[in-house]
Amino acid sequence: MNESSDNRVLPSTPVERLRLFGVFFFFLAGFLYVVGGLAYRQLIQSNDLKEQSDTQSRRVVLKPPARGRIYDRNGFPLVDNRARWSVKADLASLQKEFRAEYLRLLSAERAREAVSTDREKIMEDARVRVLQGWLNKVWFVIDETNRNTKGRKPLTKLTTVTAPTERQVNIDDLRKHLRERRALPFTLVNDLAFPGTGQALTSEDGVKSVARFIEQFPVEGPIRLEQDIVRTYPFGVMASHVLGYVKDTDALPANVDDISEVRVESMQKLHYTGKTGAAGVELSYDHVLSGRSGWELWSKTSSGYNQTRLKYSEPEQGGNVLLSLDYRIQQAAESGLANLKDPQGNLLPAAAVMLDVHTGEILALASQPSFDPNRLADRVSSKYYEEVEKLGGWLNRATQGLYAPGSTFKVITATAGMRKKVVDWDDALECGAFFRVGNRDYPEHEPVGFGEVNLDKMLAVSCNVWNYQVGLRTGIDALAAEARRFGLDTPLLQTVSDVETGGLPMTELPFAANRGLVVPDREYKLRIGAGTWNDGDTANLSIGQGYLLTTPLHMACVAASIARGETRTVPSIIHSVERNGRHLGAQPIGLNPDQLEALRGGMVRCVEEGTARVARIQGLPYAGKTGTAEYFKKGEKAHLAWMIGYAPAENPVVAFAVLVEGQTDTNTWGGKTAGPVAKAMLEAWAGTAETTKAAR
Amino acid sequence: MDQNRQGARASYVALSIFVAVWILLPSAVRRLNREAFVEFQAPALHLLGKSRDLATFWEKKSRSVEEMSAAGRDLARINAALEIKVNALEDLRRENVRLREITRYNVPAEYMSVVARVATRDSSSWWQRIVIRKGRNDGIRPGAPVVFGNTVVGRVTAVHLTTSEVDLVTSPGFRCTGYLEGDDQNHIVLINGVAANSLGTAKARVSVIPRDYSMPAGQQARVFTTGMGGVFPSRLMLGYLDGGTYATQVGNFKESLLIPSRDLYNLQEVSVLVPLHQNPGEALMQGDQFQ
Repeated sequence: MNESSDNRVLPSTPVERLRLFGVFFFFLAGFLYVVGGLAYRQLIQSNDLKEQSDTQSRRVVLKPPARGRIYDRNGFPLVDNRARWSVKADLASLQKEFRAEYLRLLSAERAREAVSTDREKIMEDARVRVLQGWLNKVWFVIDETNRNTKGRKPLTKLTTVTAPTERQVNIDDLRKHLRERRALPFTLVNDLAFPGTGQALTSEDGVKSVARFIEQFPVEGPIRLEQDIVRTYPFGVMASHVLGYVKDTDALPANVDDISEVRVESMQKLHYTGKTGAAGVELSYDHVLSGRSGWELWSKTSSGYNQTRLKYSEPEQGGNVLLSLDYRIQQAAESGLANLKDPQGNLLPAAAVMLDVHTGEILALASQPSFDPNRLADRVSSKYYEEVEKLGGWLNRATQGLYAPGSTFKVITATAGMRKKVVDWDDALECGAFFRVGNRDYPEHEPVGFGEVNLDKMLAVSCNVWNYQVGLRTGIDALAAEARRFGLDTPLLQTVSDVETGGLPMTELPFAANRGLVVPDREYKLRIGAGTWNDGDTANLSIGQGYLLTTPLHMACVAASIARGETRTVPSIIHSVERNGRHLGAQPIGLNPDQLEALRGGMVRCVEEGTARVARIQGLPYAGKTGTAEYFKKGEKAHLAWMIGYAPAENPVVAFAVLVEGQTDTNTWGGKTAGPVAKAMLEAWAGTAETTKAAR
Repeated sequence: MDQNRQGARASYVALSIFVAVWILLPSAVRRLNREAFVEFQAPALHLLGKSRDLATFWEKKSRSVEEMSAAGRDLARINAALEIKVNALEDLRRENVRLREITRYNVPAEYMSVVARVATRDSSSWWQRIVIRKGRNDGIRPGAPVVFGNTVVGRVTAVHLTTSEVDLVTSPGFRCTGYLEGDDQNHIVLINGVAANSLGTAKARVSVIPRDYSMPAGQQARVFTTGMGGVFPSRLMLGYLDGGTYATQVGNFKESLLIPSRDLYNLQEVSVLVPLHQNPGEALMQGDQFQ
């Protein structure tokens, strides 16, 4: 019986067979499920899973590119880049030191029998102490006073409390770094050439500091030396309103979508702080200057630090911009402006513009007071910001400053009168000490008047009464229309479409002369609720006073237009040899040759023997018109000094405008105050013209 | 069989104990141990260097009379030319002394020169390190620059009683600043040794070259020390830029390779410029300021 049961190997009954098949199919199904699942993952899901794995263990680090350079018209760099050497700590390599310090602090805390132990706080303290230790070493090497350490006592261990402020590890920065960019190295010294203060060292001291670190600090270890690029403005404050400055940006670079590794949405992306234009050409040509970011693909450790660089692509520098400025003329303009001071020795707010009569290219555009973009290129200190703010240095007075043009407007009044045929170039008008309009006497600036005055003499002596009479005869409508014909209500330095300019690079400066311009007329006065227009308003407008507001750039364009015998000049800050000198909206001035000759002759006489004679230049006859407008500063009457003109008198090449805001206690007059600045610019231009001629 | 097994077990136990003790030993003991090993090895290195000198001596001695007289003739010519040069240099020296006296200019000697024979090359770092037959007893200190003529050879990294280890310019542990010939604005560039592959020629990397730098036409650009880092005197020759790979543009700067101006593999003798004053870098290397 037993034997027969032992020999029974296969199930003999149908029930048993069924059970066996059941078990067999169960295992077969399980096996197929496993194999099928494996195949599904290996053959179908493999790409997705690989991507998922990659994105979990990798990250992309984006590196900002160097910005392009900005040159003057002759190729001198006005804005450049310099290498910045930073000392950074590789936090991943410091993990052991952090841990050891943490354990030491923790045991000290336990020995103290503290009631509660904040482990997070102890870890943070440990990190700070370790990093402070390394920072002390860095300073020990780069500090010039440590040149000879023989016989010196060992350094005391400086802590974040005992170390000088600029030599302390910034705990807030460290917290932010660990929160947002743990994988990137932590910056201990931001700029070795300018450690700590961010300024005050000479360039040679800066280089020495870098060289000392390179040659004396141990090569191996957790402390790294990294180079990147920082914006530099070799001429400092010169042309700062045109050039602008850059600021930090944490935005992802524009070309981020072109990078295939970055297109993976779930991939972690880290990026260094980049730079973007904040003002001037830096802002308006940011798309040209900014370049393409580079990137690095890293594998990361389980703690989130970078481990191995798998792939990388270097950043590409941005394009260059060639400005129309000539740095020699710009320097002369700014030096001229810097001589203008009030009795307390403070710089007078002022602006100067010079442009090419034919092309409209701006050769110099200066505004005072100004700012040093080098001090804004890295981190803007609130102290410096407020300092500039207090002086009014952010305002570009050449393009944004709104002023009454004073007597420089008389060229437009005269043109309007002659075009309306209410006066001709050789008409002599009787000009006494004042002119009565309504119930009020409008004064001449010369107490005894000028007697008989024609156009030529009017421009030379800047006779007010001639203009009151001609202005009233012309009427406000024609006078305002003439001012508009010369573009005094038209924004300048704005983007104009390529179609309009024939595909040439067109001018643009942010915050350019486009807001607040006023060419007053009847509607304007009603609109501002000042009542109806009267003859007194017309008399005021005829000498460039009253509601009229314009910018120095507009007045330089008026001078350039008269020099060409046209009505409009479109200025440009970009240099292009292909510019054909067509000025959008320009019409012939509408004067006959005798009238135009007389208008120009009067301006030449103004320089030779009139109100601008102080700015006369031996051997360079040129045309000018001065102006002294009244304005209220802090409730008190003050003067605006103006001078516009073009040079040379025959075959004009350049036109200019100078404006100076006089203070309440200063003696400010058009020719006397603004004239020397114009003279300085013209002499610099004549020098460059001579140089160019000699070079040919 | 059991005895064998027991013996094997005992050796494993001994090895484990040794490893444990080695790990737990204070770092000072381990450093001392290493130092002792180096000092123990030093006489052998001396002997090796001297036997090489002796071999060279006998190799020269075994040359034929004709060969020696031809070499003597050549040498006489060279000597004659050098004598003229020496006279010219003597004139220059006198002029220099005269000008210094007029201007009362007195340059303090910042370095003490110690001449040392090369004992051997350390194979552990791919021949990027040499051992010289002078050490602490001769006044050599770590961090001191090592030169041959006006050419930088490297830098002392470790000093023992009678020998010193020198990282060559091409060693990954070497780093210094330099000026490029033809760069009017004297931008500083970074020179870093590069680990050489087994068959390749050792070179160093020159980085942070300004993008607008262009090499002088028709010649290899020389690289000099800046003298600003407080380690190397200024205007010492580091080598030449490798023209072949010069145009490489890395990121915001250009990069190139440096070909050392001397054959660093065949150096027999070098000078160690020991600074008269200890600089911070040296203090850091010795660790006496921060330990």
